[in-house]
Amino acid sequence: MAWAKPILKEIEG
Amino acid sequence: MIAPNAVPYLPRGVRLHRDHVRDRWVLLAPERTISLDMIGHAIITELDGSSGFAQIVDRLAAKYDAPAVQIAGDVQQFLGQLAERRFLEVRA
Repeated sequence: MAWAKPILKEIEG
Repeated sequence: MIAPNAVPYLPRGVRLHRDHVRDRWVLLAPERTISLDMIGHAIITELDGSSGFAQIVDRLAAKYDAPAVQIAGDVQQFLGQLAERRFLEVRA
């Protein structure tokens, strides 16, 4: 897998 | 800004968890959850509580065969976002 900018997502209820 | 020798780590109460239902990795904290992509997961698994930021970047650069300067910038930003949300602490 190639490097890519990491993404995080906050999950809500 | 995380210094090269500073050690980023997951604080007590925060843990990496595999969400099998949605087929994704998440970081769990009390009453809060963050979902991670595969690169985010790769970064988190490098946080062993003893490695400095520069060591972590070097290992990721070797693993992904990518420029360390690019990885350092991306990891710095990613860990900064986690620290803002109190999913990460840094020991100087």
